[in-house]
Amino acid sequence: MRKKIAIFILIGWALLIIGDRVDELRVYQGAQVAMYTIALASIVLLTGYSGQVSLGNGAMMAVGGYGAALTLNNLGTPIWFAFLMAIVTASLFGALLGAAAARVSGPYLAGTTLALAVGLPAIANQFAFLGGEPGLFFDVGFPPERFGDEFTQYKWFFWIACFIALIALFITSNILSSRFGRTWKAIRGNSLAAELCGVHSSRMKVLAFTVSSGLAGLAGAVLAMTISLVAPGAYGLALSFALVTGAVLAGISSLPGVVLGALILVFIPEISVALADRLGDADKLNNYLPGLIVSVLLILSVIFTPNGPGENLRKHLHKKPAH
Amino acid sequence: MQKVIETLLIGLSTGSIYALMSLALVLVWRSTRVVNFAQAGQAMLSTYIGFEIASRSEIFWLGLVFAIAAGALVGAGVDYFFMRVLFKHATSGPAAVVAPVIATLGLLGLIRSIVGLTWGGEFKSIEAPASTDGFSVGDGTIPFSDLDVLIIATVSIILIAVAYIFQRTNLGLALRASAYAPEIAQLAGIRTARTRTIGWSIAGAVGGVAGMLVTSNNFLSPYSLDLLLVFGFIAAVIGGLESMVGSVIGALVLGIGLTFILNYVGTSLVFIGGFSVLILVLLIKPDGIMAKGKARRA
Repeated sequence: MRKKIAIFILIGWALLIIGDRVDELRVYQGAQVAMYTIALASIVLLTGYSGQVSLGNGAMMAVGGYGAALTLNNLGTPIWFAFLMAIVTASLFGALLGAAAARVSGPYLAGTTLALAVGLPAIANQFAFLGGEPGLFFDVGFPPERFGDEFTQYKWFFWIACFIALIALFITSNILSSRFGRTWKAIRGNSLAAELCGVHSSRMKVLAFTVSSGLAGLAGAVLAMTISLVAPGAYGLALSFALVTGAVLAGISSLPGVVLGALILVFIPEISVALADRLGDADKLNNYLPGLIVSVLLILSVIFTPNGPGENLRKHLHKKPAH
Repeated sequence: MQKVIETLLIGLSTGSIYALMSLALVLVWRSTRVVNFAQAGQAMLSTYIGFEIASRSEIFWLGLVFAIAAGALVGAGVDYFFMRVLFKHATSGPAAVVAPVIATLGLLGLIRSIVGLTWGGEFKSIEAPASTDGFSVGDGTIPFSDLDVLIIATVSIILIAVAYIFQRTNLGLALRASAYAPEIAQLAGIRTARTRTIGWSIAGAVGGVAGMLVTSNNFLSPYSLDLLLVFGFIAAVIGGLESMVGSVIGALVLGIGLTFILNYVGTSLVFIGGFSVLILVLLIKPDGIMAKGKARRA
């Protein structure tokens, strides 16, 4: 435990130093990587551990984003409280949804969350307090004065995002190695056997979806911070798809892998813009090339390395000392 | 009273299109145990092909025939080139259970981007094969039109054809057998893998019809069939995911219910209404309306 804390502090310290050395764009992308890290951790917890698929964690992120924005705008609370409320709102919502869809075994959770992701704009437009299509502002304010004039807004985002991501990953990794993580794995492996051992499997599955939703909500608030806005467009179906892709690419049940997945997700748009420039006809390509890259990567990885690149490597290493 | 009847009629027409989508989902679920979220993509690709043919030849029905053929081909291709490979590779480890669903998601994204790159994101529309002006009753007109009659007729023909295949032909028997007990079917000499591919292609063809019909009084874009997929899924859940009859009944109930919401409450609540139905069904009767005997525990 103490070792783990030391590692996380070391990573945090390294991130601070890196944040000072790179330019604004990279700092901004760093904040995005931190955001995706949290979001992917929510998928790893849900899909990699409890064996359920959510196609709408992007929508759960939106719930968290709205929760944080409503708290900050209406109550004028400190920022940390807004982020806390993001977790609370999304977990509550996740618990309600999970009580219906995660309780029963089958493809119901995947379908229900997909429906939620598709219908998010319709829902956001329905309730006036969510601000409709343009959404709500979410402004965490300028960085504190004592950091000096050199300290930019993006660096402030980066700091907050990294701080939150480190704490979230630390807590998630502890949850996953606790009784709950083991129980989820048992249910994923064989839910009947798990029930015979006294596990209440439907309750545990709802719990997994609740925790995962809370994490997604936190990521949603961080995303809202980096774009200063909560609007349905930012949390569309494409985001949910990207999250599943990132998690599968990095190994669906590997928590450290989420950093790799997050890096890939942040750099896909950049790669796709570079490709589109080379190929010409920028408009169509810019709109659909990122989606094409994401889906091709998703299909290839789910067919050839369904358990992540790490597993194949391990298999390869184990093969050598054959009897 | 007149409003109630016209809402019922429109609901029937809407619901019959949902019925095709939900039937396509159920067909694949029964044989492969995967909810094929790529169905929206397959239907979209078929509809775009149908749209090309229909707008060049100016004959809607020719477009529909091509959409059916394209749907069947794409459906068979998805099973043959992706699902078979997938089931060969992803057999163990934490991802084995979730890999098929995730793969269909990837396919949906893939087809969407290919369609977007080929046809662009602009809204296309297919000229309806019949008048969309409502019938006149007494002094006024009601929104129920020739097109709605045609939609209901086409869907009925498709449903009868599918029912005939499943109940009266050897192929149908093979399809049912290999969905019900693949190993025993195999022992009885049925090539289950090939039968499954045929099942996927029937589902693809049905989905293609759904796409063409829904587009005939609406527009077509790379995203326009997402909602149809969602409502098809809800209808399939109402029917219990297993039963083809249940999925059709579920779709009609859902279509009529949502049209009542549309006519009496407002457009904005249609989606929320559908979503609430899904949640309610999952809470109250997760096995669907067609479930017999004891409900599945947990």
